[in-house]
Amino acid sequence: MINKDLSVDFLGVHFENPFCLSSSPVGNCYEMCARAFDAGWGGIVYKTISTDRFVIDEVSPRFDELTKEDTPFVAFKNMEQLSEHTLAQDLADMKRLKTEYPNKVLIASIMGENDEEWTYLAKKVEEAGADMIEMNLSCPQMTSHKMGSDVGTNPELCKQDCIAVKKGSSLPLMAKMTPNITTMVPVVKACLEGGADGFSLINTVKSVANVDLDKHVGLPNIDGKSSVSGLSGKGVKPIALRFLQQLRSASGLEQLPISGIGGIETWEDAAEFILMGATTLQVTTAIMQYGYRIVEDMKNGLMHYMEEQGVDHLSDLVGLANKNIIATNKLNRNYKVYPEIDWDKCIGCGRCFISCQDGAHQALGWDDEKRLPTFDKSKCVGCQLCALVCPVGAIKLGIVEMKPGREGNPDEIDVSSQRLHTYHPAQSN
Amino acid sequence: MTSEYTKEPKGYTMSTVMQEAARCLLCEDAPCSKACPAHTNPAKFIRSVRFRNVKGAAETIRENNTLGAICARVCPTERYCESACTRAKIDGPIDIGGIQRYVTDMERKENMQILHPGKDNGMSVAIIGSGPAGLQAATTLRQKGYAVDIYEKQAKAGGYLTYGIPEYRLPEAIVDYEVQRIVNLGAKIHYNVAVGTDVTMDQLKQEHDAVIVAIGASAAKTIPMFEHNICTESAISFLSRAKENQGKIDVPDNVLVIGGGDVAMDVVTTLKKLGVPHVTDVVYEEFAEFKASKKELAGAQAAGVTIIDGYAPQEVHQNRVTFKHRKINGELTITTDKIILAVGQKVDATGLDIDIQHNEIPFRDARYHTKDPQVFAAGDIVDGDKTVVFAVQKGKEVAEEIDRVLGGQNND
Repeated sequence: MINKDLSVDFLGVHFENPFCLSSSPVGNCYEMCARAFDAGWGGIVYKTISTDRFVIDEVSPRFDELTKEDTPFVAFKNMEQLSEHTLAQDLADMKRLKTEYPNKVLIASIMGENDEEWTYLAKKVEEAGADMIEMNLSCPQMTSHKMGSDVGTNPELCKQDCIAVKKGSSLPLMAKMTPNITTMVPVVKACLEGGADGFSLINTVKSVANVDLDKHVGLPNIDGKSSVSGLSGKGVKPIALRFLQQLRSASGLEQLPISGIGGIETWEDAAEFILMGATTLQVTTAIMQYGYRIVEDMKNGLMHYMEEQGVDHLSDLVGLANKNIIATNKLNRNYKVYPEIDWDKCIGCGRCFISCQDGAHQALGWDDEKRLPTFDKSKCVGCQLCALVCPVGAIKLGIVEMKPGREGNPDEIDVSSQRLHTYHPAQSN
Repeated sequence: MTSEYTKEPKGYTMSTVMQEAARCLLCEDAPCSKACPAHTNPAKFIRSVRFRNVKGAAETIRENNTLGAICARVCPTERYCESACTRAKIDGPIDIGGIQRYVTDMERKENMQILHPGKDNGMSVAIIGSGPAGLQAATTLRQKGYAVDIYEKQAKAGGYLTYGIPEYRLPEAIVDYEVQRIVNLGAKIHYNVAVGTDVTMDQLKQEHDAVIVAIGASAAKTIPMFEHNICTESAISFLSRAKENQGKIDVPDNVLVIGGGDVAMDVVTTLKKLGVPHVTDVVYEEFAEFKASKKELAGAQAAGVTIIDGYAPQEVHQNRVTFKHRKINGELTITTDKIILAVGQKVDATGLDIDIQHNEIPFRDARYHTKDPQVFAAGDIVDGDKTVVFAVQKGKEVAEEIDRVLGGQNND
């Protein structure tokens, strides 16, 4: 079995691997966290703690899922807030974890309602032995408007809170960002001014995932009512990656230290977050669905990916994709690439034809007798929708042509796309 | 062991049916739909399932096929829709029958009433026989506003569906449910009435504007050497006894079945499900030319039936039958407790004054017509496949032909 060094250094802390539990139900007590460490996770962001003054009182049930066809957990909606234990209990659990797992990373997630609380909590978790602090500025289902994602959209409040935390502790400080905002940049810059060292993103996306069609209430149904709350899981990955890109492409934030969160469940998801600028990674939803064991394939798969990429350190991969995501008006619009149908693979289902007719530019026609698509190059715009819908991967990127009157050498244009052709479903045949 | 006979295989659940529906490629101009003789339109109802519109799926099935729940279970789909399925080019065809069963099961659970009678047009049609063709004809005619009287010589409706197909493949409750829907549409069924004996054809012609003969091939064929053999029973007699008694019949330890069609497969599989240890099926055809559907053949083989192909019976002495191979030098003698002959059925049209040759009405340009302009035919006595799904289509078409002749559509 392959064995490569997956360790990373992040905000001055050494992680044996970048995979961490995110602050959530999956890291809610000593016993759970111990099992997660035993399963191979490199770090844990212990479920957010607050002062005993703020009483956590949860609803039941508290989850919902978005499905598609027969796929569960396309996205996941969660209404849980913070740790329900007493502060003393959580601090004792953290202390025990750090004692028993000295080489693992323990990150304390905290949330205060005012400066004094932030300072107090920061001091307490440092005393308990945490390696790092994560400020929860982004939980979208808090019952107090002075806490959670409402705070996380306000740069001034965030800066003030960071200052308060730094007053209580000298530990490295991450601020956890809400995606329920158009641009994260002002908040991040304010947090940096307040003393934050790095950022974890994204927290969950405010959502109503499903509506009960008989009772006319959102789900989960809590005694006839429901609330907007956070969405997570695979479905939010594209939103998360967009925010990573927004930050790492902002002026002055190019090297921003990020702990990536949002729908990570495979090594490929993990690699994507790393390429988009994350140094460590945090996971909850996939664990809630499949358990701590998923880290095995994430670690092993990532090692194989490093081997394929020819790198010995994950840090060599961090942010490599950021420079290749540019403004839409900077893209090369001088050429188009036509589809090329592999007639040996084509099974004649006609899905490319249907999608081209109804979703693209009517370049693909249909031969009723042969039950095969026909191609009218003059109408093709090279969008490649056909290649995406083909169930057997029979459509490849073919001839590249410069648009009339445009400069350029078609042979020098890079149109290869691994995602489209290597990982396409049913590609194996 | 009799419970095996009455136990229907598990159907899909909402989540497993979605897995199967998600396998469907949702083809352009879908070949499966073109391959269904009854135009049940699987491509459309599977797409409805895929987009979580099970009620719409039920409407599609029901509007095209009044026996949708029955066809879902008994149709040899491998010969029709599934043989055309594009997904087979990737791995295997979609389980269309299974999806159809799920949808019609949901229709039943939800008590959906999809079909409605047409406005009364003042005309009436008599249907002789309540098998698949008669039931579909009754449905289509009721939708068009005709009064419909079905004359059934047995105590229950359904013909071969009720008296032939074993319980594990087609529960009686499903047939009852389908028949009840048709009764709810306003079709009257007269049970225990044999046309030609209890009522004459002339009476029917006087009382109705048209008569449909949909009597099927309900009598057993035999082989001369077995005609007076006391150990021999016909397949349809055996299957009917098993079904009427819900499998609670006495069976011996050792049964020889002769025949290799779907009926023979029903017989041998039923015998195994009733606990007969030794079931031997000797078949005239060789495996490569087998008539039975692959699904039923596989079921029989899985049940442990010994199947010997390519042999024809030569002589029989009480319970001892000698066969010879049709092509190679070989002889086979089997001594058995009981012989069941599954060598086909024939038409018994006694008292109906209808022209039958080789178990079918003679071919005419105007399909479904008999020599009498007021009398029509449907089902297995009309040329074409002898399957339920074909009978359904013939039932639809004969109803449309009658409507054309009688001009009922003018009243629409």
